[in-house]
Amino acid sequence: MIGLIARRELLEFIRDRRLFWAGGIILLLLAIALLVGWQQQRTLNAERAAAQQLDYDDWVSQAERHPHDAAHQGMHVFKPEAPLAVVDPGITPYVGSTQWLQAHRQADLKFVPAQDATGLQRFGNLSVAWVLQVLGPLLVIVLGFNAFAAEREQGTLRQLMSIGVTPQRLLLGKALALSVALALLLVPAAVVIAFVSLSGLEAGLQYDTLMRLLVLFAGYAIYLSIFIFLTLAVSGRTSTSRIALMALMAVWITGVILAPRAISDLADRWYPTPSRVEFNNSMDQELSKTYADAWQASFGVSTRWGADLPLNRWGEALQVDDQAGYLVADRHFAELWGAFDKQRQLQEWSGLVFPVLALRSFSMGIAGSDFSAHRDFSLAAEQQRRLMQDLISHDLIHHADVLDHQHFTYKADSTLWKQIPPFDYRLPTMEAVLPANIRSLGILSLALLVSFVLALASVPRRA
Amino acid sequence: MNSLFKHLPLVFRHEWRLLLADRSLWLTLGILCAVLAYGLFNGITATEARTTTQVRLQIQEADAAVRNVDLLRRIFEDKANPEPFANPANPANVGSGLAARYAMMPALPLAPLALGQSDMLPDHYKISYRNKTSFLYDGEIENPWNLMSGRLDAVFVVIYLLPLLIIALSYNVLSVEREQGMMKLVLSNPITLSTLLAGKLLARALPLLAGAALLPIVALLLFFPPARQVDALPQMMGWIALVLAYGLFWFALAAFVNALRTSSANNALLLISAWVVLTLIAPVIVNLAVSTANPAPSRVELATQTRLVTIAGLNRYNELLSTDYRYTTNLETLRPKDGKLDIPERLRAFYLMDRDVDAEISSLLDRFDIQVASQQALVDRFGFVSPAIVAFEGITGLSGNGSRRFQHFKEQIDTFHENWRGYFQPKVLGGQAMTESDYADIPRFVWQEESARQRWTDLAKRLFQLLLLAAILSVLAIVFLRRYRVV
Amino acid sequence: MLETHDLCVEYDGAVALQSLNIRVDPGEIYCLLGANGAGKTTLINAFLGFVEPATGSVHVNGLDVSRYPLESKQGAAYIPEQVMLYSVLSGIENLDYFAALATGRRLPKARLMALLVQAGLSEEAASRRISTYSKGMRQKVGIAIALAKGAKALLLDEPTSGLDPSAANEFSLLLRQAASRGVAILTTTHDLFHAKQTGTRIGIMRKGHLLVEFDSVAVSHEELEAAYLEHMRVMQ
Repeated sequence: MIGLIARRELLEFIRDRRLFWAGGIILLLLAIALLVGWQQQRTLNAERAAAQQLDYDDWVSQAERHPHDAAHQGMHVFKPEAPLAVVDPGITPYVGSTQWLQAHRQADLKFVPAQDATGLQRFGNLSVAWVLQVLGPLLVIVLGFNAFAAEREQGTLRQLMSIGVTPQRLLLGKALALSVALALLLVPAAVVIAFVSLSGLEAGLQYDTLMRLLVLFAGYAIYLSIFIFLTLAVSGRTSTSRIALMALMAVWITGVILAPRAISDLADRWYPTPSRVEFNNSMDQELSKTYADAWQASFGVSTRWGADLPLNRWGEALQVDDQAGYLVADRHFAELWGAFDKQRQLQEWSGLVFPVLALRSFSMGIAGSDFSAHRDFSLAAEQQRRLMQDLISHDLIHHADVLDHQHFTYKADSTLWKQIPPFDYRLPTMEAVLPANIRSLGILSLALLVSFVLALASVPRRA
Repeated sequence: MNSLFKHLPLVFRHEWRLLLADRSLWLTLGILCAVLAYGLFNGITATEARTTTQVRLQIQEADAAVRNVDLLRRIFEDKANPEPFANPANPANVGSGLAARYAMMPALPLAPLALGQSDMLPDHYKISYRNKTSFLYDGEIENPWNLMSGRLDAVFVVIYLLPLLIIALSYNVLSVEREQGMMKLVLSNPITLSTLLAGKLLARALPLLAGAALLPIVALLLFFPPARQVDALPQMMGWIALVLAYGLFWFALAAFVNALRTSSANNALLLISAWVVLTLIAPVIVNLAVSTANPAPSRVELATQTRLVTIAGLNRYNELLSTDYRYTTNLETLRPKDGKLDIPERLRAFYLMDRDVDAEISSLLDRFDIQVASQQALVDRFGFVSPAIVAFEGITGLSGNGSRRFQHFKEQIDTFHENWRGYFQPKVLGGQAMTESDYADIPRFVWQEESARQRWTDLAKRLFQLLLLAAILSVLAIVFLRRYRVV
Repeated sequence: MLETHDLCVEYDGAVALQSLNIRVDPGEIYCLLGANGAGKTTLINAFLGFVEPATGSVHVNGLDVSRYPLESKQGAAYIPEQVMLYSVLSGIENLDYFAALATGRRLPKARLMALLVQAGLSEEAASRRISTYSKGMRQKVGIAIALAKGAKALLLDEPTSGLDPSAANEFSLLLRQAASRGVAILTTTHDLFHAKQTGTRIGIMRKGHLLVEFDSVAVSHEELEAAYLEHMRVMQ
């Protein structure tokens, strides 16, 4: 019975060409997004990997020089893009991609792609995720808005009821029809997406990426299902298909266009983040106090780098300075990133009402293009910087100048440079990121349950 | 014509009655005003936060100046010992950051209406003679998620929501009369279909567009003191004109769709598809096309170049860098003598390296600016494919938060950075100590506003584009109305 | 005065009216009989300029409808079979609008109320929303609109269908009053009895042709019925 209803419904989608047009546009956009994303990522990752290698070669082969000046040259680390950033670039355009590991201070990653773009960037980024998140629900609405309303208008609802079709079966039949219609479009698309994003990856990464893709698709399936039931619920409650369409449009616009911005602003207000000046000032203040204490404790002097400390102890001083600073920086960054995380949680919980927000978080998280991924890289980069700093201080202590005033005449050579390993950053595995994304998945599932119940309650019981 | 003047007010009045009676106007206006109010609140608080930051920096800058001069005075009077790396007499310390001088781009009176790129690009830089890459990329702290979502400001409401409300109120103005059977009775009277349609749309346009255009102005005047100045008036007029022209486009589109004589449901579907294509898909596609046609130069290359130039510098100035600081054995070297100061060789080396880096990568940095400028030129040229782009660019331009003004700011930074370095170079290389009077002469950043002519021609061009699109649709609507079959 | 000269109208490629010559003089009530699809409503639409003549011409009060679309509408009032009005407005508010459209200016409220009362609506009903009206009451608002227009010609499309007999009677009375003031009236109907009772002349249409015309005083009811049935049968 359910199958019969679904088949009739599907036939209608195909006959009135709605599936063809609406679906065709979606597929076209998906194809463009995928192609462009893939092409850009391939060149970008190749370029970054090459630069990373070159950078290390230059580091190792640098001339003999004072280690502190070597730290001036520093090393660059380039953030590799996660393979699935092709599907969901997430926050990638809005965070830096490059860090110059230099002496003294932890810094943010530089070179935010969106800074190299025009204001149009703010309308959105064409990506597979954008198409599915924003236009996917619209496709569901266009296919399903008149599921019940049209039958009511044409009087066929009365007929169906009279021959004993139960409302539940009617609902399931129609839901099945919508799902099959979407599957007809999106399953082939998913296969292509999988094929494209897996191609050219090394074997280990391929498995991980495939797993991520499967989980990702599951998330999108839940998301679209929410809209299937929501659409059927509204269609079941409205008297004409015109009203159903208007009501669903209102739901879509509020949920997909308005909510992301409104909730972002709300989250920013709820869990405020400091301005750059505030952040720097408060960190500077704490740092200078911490440094002073550390110098006092270690050397019994009140001014840093003053005349009281002979140059032959500068290696030691560097170490004391750095170690004291690490903790302060860690705390400040953890606080800032903690606020970002709280904002993310608020976004996720809003997903109960506006599923797109939970999905966004989930999709970025699984694709490896969310802030956690960025944070993971930032921490790894900072770890590398500290490793470099510590080795250099250690080397300076080891080679402390015996004459007491020839600190900078000391030159280290490639044996020191080689002690610092190349920056080998591994993207976190699926198992590592999954726990952080269970909540958003749970919220999505909950939203699905709610929309299903809503649909059940809204199926017309009388014609 | 006669019918138009006689009947238009009649239809207008009647439509008002209808809209008030079925409450749809109140609902729509209510939604518009509520979301707009939220958007304005966001815009005003964000702009005020920016202004507060700038004021705070100005205070910091002034404090630093007083502190430096004060310390300098005491050093001259032998009442204080100079610190090696924060010595107000040492031009290398002062020029590389101790002066704590900022270059700032002020917010325009209409800034709260469109936050534009203001959360993305810095509106102030701490200037030093260090190389440009060292300060050019420190943006404001923002959760990237929020950057990705975009802000809910007044321009967002106008660009996205206003057209939807226009559609909701006018998608069926003619079709509903045909479907419910009033149309024949109405048109048995000496009134033309175009007058009828014009009256109906005008009745909707007036409250909706007045609300969208004027509420933000009123809110600015009430809650944003910088907007209360005569200079802001033409900009406000520009905003009103852009909102009206953009609204007009959507009403013209609604008129055209109504003239097609399809069913109400079909009208709704057509208009919503147009909205999706014009405000959602077209800008995203244009953005993609623009960035594909004029891709940003590689930042990786910039990083690599910077490193190579730095290495070259390290090698070139190896001699200077290997020299030890003398103050650790002789504190007196920190004190100016006869206007001279012993500038440590290492600091001179750093100065020279930064200078070299800038000289070597300046052409590369220029390429980024040229690329953004040429992307912007493409947007200006092809933006007309979507009135949403045209209106957005126009309003963001008026608010002073558009890409172009930030670009203009960066150009001034380039010049100012040159001046700054020019001022300190002879002192650093010649070992001249900073004196109190030198402090008064340190270059000061004076913001130069964008050329007014450029701004107004931009505005005029965009208004023309919007009105042209609206006119084309209106003409089409009239043509189709001529062929409209009442029965 | 309403008249057509050799009027041909094509509708969706099919011929709806063929070489039709009809003339309704001031003071006349012309009843058009015919089955569905005979072309009665098309003829009314032609007088209102809603359909264009393929050949021939349509005149209202001597004005060619194609050439003077607005002016000719000034001189003709129209009452459709179903008078559909704005349901969120009251009867008097609806009349206010339509009367203003008809005359180009707004009439005072007292005048509007008088027209509604003249058309047979109570004052209390006039202030209620249309959504509470019966079909007959809406019809009366339609009459009031026609009265407000004060036109020299009146076009009625099945005005009595669905009205109860007494309402139909009242309606006939109103028509005769109007005719006596020199208004030319064209009305379509299915109702032989009503035609005979109200009309001064009766025409029978089939497939776009005007077949016969009767003087309603001269023709007996039986003759009329016989003729009507005859033409209906030919059609089958």
